[in-house]
Amino acid sequence: MPEVMLDIKNIYKNFGDLHVLKGVSTTVEKGEVVVIIGVSGSGKSTLLRCMNLLEEPTYGEVWMEGKLMTPVDPYLHFDVLRTSKTYKGLVAGGLSDEEAIHKIKDEDLLKEKHPKTEGPEYAALMKKIYGDYHIDINLGRQKMGMVFQNFNLFNNKTVKENITLAPVKIGKQRLKDAKKRGETVTKTAVDIEKEANEKAMKLLERIGLQDKADAYPSTLSGGQRQRVAIIRALAMEPDVMLFDEPTSALDPEMVGEVLDLIRDLVKSGMTSVIVTHEMGFAKEVADRVIFMHDGVIAEEGTPEEVFNNPKNPRCKDFLSKVLY
Amino acid sequence: MVFVMNIVKIMTKYWKVFLLQGIGYTLLLSIIAVAGGAFFGSLMALAKRSRLKILKFIINAIVAVVRGTPVLLQLYIGVFVFPLIIPKLSSLPYIYSVSIVLIINSSAYVSEIIRSGIEAVDIGQMEAARSLGLTQKTAMLSIVLPQAIKNILPALGNEFIMVVKETSLASTFFVGELMTAYLKVKGNTYLTMECLFIVGVLYFALTYILSKILKAWEGRMKARA
Repeated sequence: MPEVMLDIKNIYKNFGDLHVLKGVSTTVEKGEVVVIIGVSGSGKSTLLRCMNLLEEPTYGEVWMEGKLMTPVDPYLHFDVLRTSKTYKGLVAGGLSDEEAIHKIKDEDLLKEKHPKTEGPEYAALMKKIYGDYHIDINLGRQKMGMVFQNFNLFNNKTVKENITLAPVKIGKQRLKDAKKRGETVTKTAVDIEKEANEKAMKLLERIGLQDKADAYPSTLSGGQRQRVAIIRALAMEPDVMLFDEPTSALDPEMVGEVLDLIRDLVKSGMTSVIVTHEMGFAKEVADRVIFMHDGVIAEEGTPEEVFNNPKNPRCKDFLSKVLY
Repeated sequence: MVFVMNIVKIMTKYWKVFLLQGIGYTLLLSIIAVAGGAFFGSLMALAKRSRLKILKFIINAIVAVVRGTPVLLQLYIGVFVFPLIIPKLSSLPYIYSVSIVLIINSSAYVSEIIRSGIEAVDIGQMEAARSLGLTQKTAMLSIVLPQAIKNILPALGNEFIMVVKETSLASTFFVGELMTAYLKVKGNTYLTMECLFIVGVLYFALTYILSKILKAWEGRMKARA
């Protein structure tokens, strides 16, 4: 069975009255390349940002490598629902198990979601699931690299510092924690810095920008900045890479160099989720294509299925406009 | 001609009052106000970004009241009310109460300067740092604040110069700064215009030199980043 990396369960995202995501579920397997397409405002970027919790989903759960990153959503756990006072009340009122669960879900009866109002059994189970599976958001994020549309390189740091900052800071923190736990550590803070620097130079060599190591991001071209942003994410050795329209803010002549790097990366087996408007590229690298429309996954399948034989009329319409 | 002669006479006799006591106290008050303001202002700016609604409300209320009332009135209230709250202050010179008022006043303005400086940093910088798994605190300290400081410094310099001038209001309580020096010397010599002229030149020199120093400092900060 393929190993599931990222598990998105029934994600809803509301910005006030604006409902951007309306129940999105999908999984990303190890080594898989998932491309998300769709018109602007269909929720594809929001979905990607929900994956590493830059946006907190309103409902639903995000699981990364078997660990829960969001709070527990009781609607996704039947065993939790069955411990709630609301459920017990409904069953006592004559409904069957299935009917009661349906009713609770359909009518959003746990809206309060306050553990205390649903009884101690419910609160205890919620707490147990949280305790068993939840990990610190920052730990989850360390395993997910994110590449932004606007690069977001740190303006106050040189190219090399941009790459080494997170590995050094987090490496040192881990060292401190290990010492606190009384474990024997073989590395010193200096080693961590040295390693991070060496790795940064190696990564810079890979994209041919080693001579820019001490330059500030403002002196780089858009394509160079985005490639640095990609290797900055790689320096954390993530298990999944998330790309949020990585070429949308680039001049046309620079799109190629960034796509080449991403192509290299996915060909080397990096699990990736890519939001893009580059249909040719999507067709080429994707193992699976997701077409988002109006906050839900409207169509999903292999590139051949989605691009050559779309079933959803919206998807057909969209593709007829972007493909020539 | 008589005017110039009078100034020379005044300065030879009272230079200590103007240059040592006057400028000394003015600078002391300004530095206390700005340093305290920078410290408490930063805390207030951070508190304003916290999730605690009550804290936010209190800070906003303080800022609104401080910005919405004259400094002179705040000084009066401070000088008469603080000793009631802290009995120890009643046996100390007014300058202690005056300093506290100036610190509160400056904190309110500085907190606004810092808040807007932080908000002017692209939100993408924070997002990028968080996406790498850095904590909110680390992201703030290593990425956002260093960039915010560049936005903050010029405005903070202005605030410093404003405070230097605002300390003149403390002369109401005869605490010894430049304007008090004016009142003293004028009282002894009855030469109002000459004394005003001297104090005016000194205030101008003070703020002018300060603005030059701050500009040089800003330039250096910019060159480094």
